[in-house]
This record gives sequence, C-alpha cells and structure tokens, in this order.
Amino acid sequence: MAQDSVDLSCDYQFWMQKLSVWDQASTLETQQDTCLHVAQFQEFLRKMYEALKEMDSNTVIERFPTIGQLLAKACWNPFILAYDESQKILIWCLCCLINKEPQNSGQSKLNSWIQGVLSHILSALRFDKEVALFTQGLGYAPIDYYPGLLKNMVLSLASELRENHLNGFNTQRRMAPERVASLSRVCVPLITLTDVDPLVEALLICHGREPQEILQPEFFEAVNEAILLKKISLPMSAVVCLWLRHLPSLEKAMLHLFEKLISSERNCLRRIECFIKDSSLPQAACHPAIFRVVDEMFRCALLETDGALEIIATIQVFTQCFVEALEKASKQLRFALKTYFPYTSPSLAMVLLQDPQDIPRGHWLQTLKHISELLREAVEDQTHGSCGGPFESWFLFIHFGGWAEMVAEQLLMSAAEPPTALLWLLAFYYGPRDGRQQRAQTMMAYVMATCRHGDLQPCGQRRSPVPTEVARDETLPAHSPAKRRPFFPKVI
Amino acid sequence: AGAFAHLMESLLQHLDRFSELLAVSSTTYVSTWDPATVRRALQWARYLRHIHRRFGRHGPIRTALERRLHNQWRQEGGFGRGPVPGLANFQALGHCDVLLSLRLLENRALGDAARYHLVQQLFPGPGVRDADEETLQESLARLARRRSAVHMLRFNGYRENPNLQEDSLMKTQAELLLERLQEVGKAEAERPARFLGSLWERLPQNNFLKVIAVALLQPPLSRRPQEELEPGIHKSPGEGSQVLVHWLLGNSEVFAAFCRALPAGLLTLVTSRHPALSPVYLGLLTDWGQRLHYDLQKGIWVGTESQDVPWEELHNRFQSLCQAPPPLKDKVLTALETCKAQDGDFEVPGLSIWTDLLLALRSGAFRKRQVLGLSAGLSSV
Repeated sequence: MAQDSVDLSCDYQFWMQKLSVWDQASTLETQQDTCLHVAQFQEFLRKMYEALKEMDSNTVIERFPTIGQLLAKACWNPFILAYDESQKILIWCLCCLINKEPQNSGQSKLNSWIQGVLSHILSALRFDKEVALFTQGLGYAPIDYYPGLLKNMVLSLASELRENHLNGFNTQRRMAPERVASLSRVCVPLITLTDVDPLVEALLICHGREPQEILQPEFFEAVNEAILLKKISLPMSAVVCLWLRHLPSLEKAMLHLFEKLISSERNCLRRIECFIKDSSLPQAACHPAIFRVVDEMFRCALLETDGALEIIATIQVFTQCFVEALEKASKQLRFALKTYFPYTSPSLAMVLLQDPQDIPRGHWLQTLKHISELLREAVEDQTHGSCGGPFESWFLFIHFGGWAEMVAEQLLMSAAEPPTALLWLLAFYYGPRDGRQQRAQTMMAYVMATCRHGDLQPCGQRRSPVPTEVARDETLPAHSPAKRRPFFPKVI
Repeated sequence: AGAFAHLMESLLQHLDRFSELLAVSSTTYVSTWDPATVRRALQWARYLRHIHRRFGRHGPIRTALERRLHNQWRQEGGFGRGPVPGLANFQALGHCDVLLSLRLLENRALGDAARYHLVQQLFPGPGVRDADEETLQESLARLARRRSAVHMLRFNGYRENPNLQEDSLMKTQAELLLERLQEVGKAEAERPARFLGSLWERLPQNNFLKVIAVALLQPPLSRRPQEELEPGIHKSPGEGSQVLVHWLLGNSEVFAAFCRALPAGLLTLVTSRHPALSPVYLGLLTDWGQRLHYDLQKGIWVGTESQDVPWEELHNRFQSLCQAPPPLKDKVLTALETCKAQDGDFEVPGLSIWTDLLLALRSGAFRKRQVLGLSAGLSSV
C-alpha cells in the first residue's frame, strides 16, 4: 500500500508537468504528445480515483494540495476529455473533492470552484457565439442539438475528403495536407465514439495526391487497436486500406491472431476457423500485398517453430477461408495468381487452388499424379535456380491440406500397389528436406508397411491435416529412418 | 378504456408537474430544495424518459403528450418571448433527465446539501450499469465527449464552406429552425409569422438571414438527425419552407435586408428553388438600379447615398441570375429588356442603366463562352 502511494506521488508529479506543457493542446507537438499518452493518463486517473474515494475532502487536499490544479488542467485539454472514459473519471475525482458540509469560506469557495469545473466539462466549450445565440433563441438546449451538429460536421468533413480524393487536380477544392493530418490527430482520442466512424472511414479510404503518407501513425495505431478489440466497426474496404497504408498495423493484427491461438487451450479446427474468420484477415488477404505479408509471417512462424503442426493447421484453415473469400470477391478485383504465389509456376498454383471436393472421385488419381509431377519437377529441378528450392514448393503444398488427405485416402482405399507418384507426394509432405535416396527409402518403407497390414482403417476426420491413423501403427519395421528429422515427428 | 384514460391523465399530470419543475430548476427557488426534493425530481425525470422510450412510437400516447406540451406553450404565450423554460419538443423527453441535471448543476442557488446529493446521484461511480437503458451518468459522459469532439473538429478541421447551404454549422441551424417552425405549426400557439417576427427582433440578424436562406435550400425529404426514434414519421422541410417564403413576402423590410446581405449566388439558388420570390427580388433589383445615375466624369454608374447598392453588386446579382436554369433566367432577361424599353430603348451606354447592364452581361457571357471554348454565336442573351 505504501509503495502504491509512493508510485502515485511520482506519477502525480510526472503528469502535472505533462499537463502544464500540453495546456489546451493547440499545437501539433502538444497534440501528438497528448495522443501518445492519453491512454496512460486515463490509467493514472483511475488509480487516483481509487485512492481519492477512500478519503474525505479535507484529507484529499492535505494529501494532494494541487489536485484541483491537476484536474482543471486536464479538463482544459479537449483531447483528454474526448478520450474513452476520461471525462467520467475526471468527474468522479472532482466529486471526491466536494465538501458535504463546508465549515468555512475556504471550503465553500472550493465547492464553488469545483462546480465551475464540472460545468465546464458538461456545458461549456462554446465556440460560435452566433450559433449559440441562435439555438438558445429558438429554445434549444445543447443536449437537444449536439448529436445532430456532430453528425453534420462529421458527414461534411467526410464528403470533403471524398471530393478531395476524386478531384485531386482541382486545386480550388483541395484539402491541405496539414488539415488532413490534423483531422487524423483529432480522431485518435475519439476513435471509440461511433459518431465519428464516417470520418475515420473517409480518412482511411481517401488519400490525396501527396506521394508520402499524410496521416499520423498514432491514428493508424489507434484505429487498428480499436479494430482488434472490437471497439469500432468499419467496412472491410476501410480495414484493407488501413493495412495497406500502415504495415505495422497488419503485422499487429497477425500477431494478435497468433496470440489468441496460442493462449487458447485446446484448439479444435472449428475454433481456429472462428478466430481466423473473426480477424477479417482472409478477406483482406484477397489483396495480394496483404496476402504476401500474411504468408511471410506464416512462413516465419513455421520456420521458428520447426514446422509445428498447429501452425500448419492454421495455415491450412486460413488458406481455406482465403479461397472462400477470393471466390466471393468482386470479379473486378481479381488479381493474377502470380501476385499471390510468385515463387511457383502458375499451373501448379492453379491446380492446387481447386477445391478437392469439386473433383469427381474417378479423377482423383489423375489429379494427384499431376500435382506430384509438377511438384517433383519444381523440387528436383536444381538448374532452374528458381523459386526458393524445395522449401518453397513444400510451403505452397502444405497450404492446401485437402490434397495430402486425398493422397492418404487414395493410398489406404485402394488395394492395388500404390503408385509411385502418390508415395512421392506423401514422402515429400512429411520430409521435404530429404534427399532423393532418403525419400526413396521412405517410400519403400511405406510399401512394406501397407503390404503387411492390408486392412488399415481409412482416415478419420475429413479435415485433419495429418492422417494420424497411419502414424498410430506402431509395429512398423526398423526400415524407418532412425535419424530424427528436425522438421517433423516421425510418421512412419 | 376507463383505466387507460385514468392512466393517461396521471401521466399528463406528471408531465405538467415535471415541466414546472424544469422551469423552476434554473431559478433561485431551488435554494429551498433539500436532498429529498432533488431525488424526487430526478426520479420523475427518469420516469418520463422511460415513458418516452417505451411509448415514443405509440401514436395515441405520443399525440396526447405532445398536445399537452403544446398546451403549456400556449399558456406561456407562445415561443415569441424567448427561450422556452420547459421542454423544447416531444423528443426532449428522451433526455429530460440530462436537461434537469445540467440546469441544477449550473444553478448556484442550490444549497450545499442538495448539491452534494445531486452530484452523488448523477455520478455514482463505476460499476453501476443498466442492461437496457443508458444510465444518466453515461448520458452525461457521452454529452461531454461529444462536446469535446465538436470543439476539436471545429478548431482542427472545420472550414467554413463557401457554399453556405453545405456548411455543417449553417445546416444544423437551418434544420433546427425548420423543426421549430413545424412545432409552432402543430402547437398553434401563435401564428408562425409572429414567431418569426419575434426571432427577427431578438436574434443577430445577419446570421438569421443566412440560416433562412440555407433552410430554404434544404433537400426535400431529409430525415432530421435529432429524430432518431420515429422512423415512420416523415417531416418534410416543405412545410417549413412555405412558411418562410410566406413570411419573407409579407415583410418587405426583412426581404430587403435578405437580398442585400446575402451573396448573389445564394440568392439565385433560393430564387430558383422558390419561384414565388423572384418577382419581388427582381422588383428590388429594379428599385436599386433606378437609384443610380451616370457620372460623366468617372464614366460609371453611382448612387447618391452611401446605402445605395453599387453598380458592381447590381451587376453581380444579375450575372448570377442569368446563369440560373431556364424559367428564372428568361424572366430576368425579360425584365431587363422591359426596363430598357421603358427607359427609351437606348443602345448607347451611359444613358440607361438597363442598357449598360445588358451590354455588360452580354460581353461577359461572350467572354465566358470563349473561355469555355464554345461557339462564338450569341446565345439567348
């Protein structure tokens, strides 16, 4: 407890100083600084309130003689008042200072002063005298017309931004970059106020003719944070614009997804799918630039975790959602496959993107052989010097879990001798790094295993990325490679 | 039915009492209030707010409540006398608790004990949530937040729109004016003309004129942002506009100020939209023109008194009118030709202002067509 109060005193000094510098946040620097600190300040206010509510008015003044000044300075900064719940907490703190029964004129004066500050928070901030006189003259109180006024201002600014976006060369109507930047700063504390959504959307979607980014990074961060915490609801086009314009936001969104997946205990595929769809990333990934970044992050995650099955499962579910989203996407916005998968041949990508369920059973073998051929070509073709080598091909292949499943099913269902192409695919799936010889050995081992246990059961869960039934058989011969591969748990 | 009538009567009495309360809340009378009175007052407000939320869409109940409010206004002598001490309209019931709270908070006459209790009631602290409705604390916080938002947008992004009818501040005022006119019409508390007349006397006139112009240009079937609770009830600005036009036509002093103070482009738009105004506008322009005489030495048309409209302004207005779409444009040209003819139908400049105006307009039009790359042939001018 004592430590808490010491901390509070330190913080108190810090914030008092900050508030004095910020004043009414009328310059670019003070606005930026306020935006950076506004969340922390709110936390400080909460802690203050927790401390103050235990004391009576006189104790408060004893303990924090300048508290009135601190609160008043905060109230005079519109960025602070506008943020989240700060105005409420400030009011609570002020209420703690009110003396229930003032004993002397000093205490009365304090009460009176507090009343003034409360009034300021709730009733003042008059701007245009004429407007105020007019509305009053008509008999309206601010509460009657403020919502409408805010809406009109927001819509007007949003349409100005749109016009600016469309008529960039008409210099008369151009919005100065400083003004647009200023608007983006203003939106930072207001981001969770739904009245302001149209403006936020317009800021994201409309960019002027300036070559460099005008919007403030704190704006992008604030919007992204609000999106991830579901405190704002924006159309998909605005979210895509956000992620295209501000890479750190996209990365953060991915990390947020990973965190959710990691922190959740047992992830069944359905839950993974839920998290992924919820994140809006598959939809956004219809834009190739976003897809590439997302894919890159998956690639890194895979490498970092040595090919963890959870990551592979996530990639597969993601790709499925992505393909669904791609199909739904407007025909006009279709990009060439090469933009999504630059490291592979378009024919391979095209084949793999098909939905395995669309293929009639009779054609399975054919299709799989074709895939095997293409992959093998890509992998074993060293001279081409292309496409990242076997890893890239394998990385592409594991995106599409349906094919590995199909291979396994095909192998298990047919009593005939397993075709080499299929064996190769399976071996490749589980051991992309193997040299030719190693892979041949693996393939042979499988053949031996299936010959001995002809009545193995078919695959279980349709969507399981790992045909686990095969791994369950423990009495396989010692032909299986003893060396532990760095990539995968032993399958055979 | 009897029970319903009884309930309605008690509800209406409640409304009456609350309106009195609200009127009193900003006077020194509150010095007699103790904490219990404050608590009761807030309870009444909460009750009425609840009623509004539940029965806002219910035709009969809403009508009954509205009629009662209109009654109150009639008894106070209409709107003419200034700010309404009670509720502005039916929608105000939806936030009557906020209205009352703010008035009490700002009232210095409230005693210490009562004030302390008030503050406790308004701001109980964290953890008090209502599943259905927004608590009073939340409403007040949201108002504070919205006020900061408006303040920040006003000083960090807002620019006055040169097209006044698209300016957000102007639009809001215009919407409020039209809404008020509607209420006055429904309440029949007084003739709208009298209401507008009293506004003319009390409010800053320049701003008022601009608001009228913007109100006359509002799009036909716009939904008022203030009325979120009644989707089925369309209030068209058409009625309000008619009232305004009628009032302007009946008040030559106001209309003269209207035409003098507002920019040419705006007036052209207004006149196009409301053809009833065009003869009077043209009449005014004609009067202004006739007051000017030709100064041989300077070679320009000048007025005799300082308040006479100068040539440039006159020309401006006619030029703007000639750029309006057909019915108006033709009327204007016809009027000019008529005046020119009456003056003697001169072709030489310096003798009749109408000749000179027509000459100036034609050459202006000619130059404009050149600039736009259109054919050099004279159009209807």
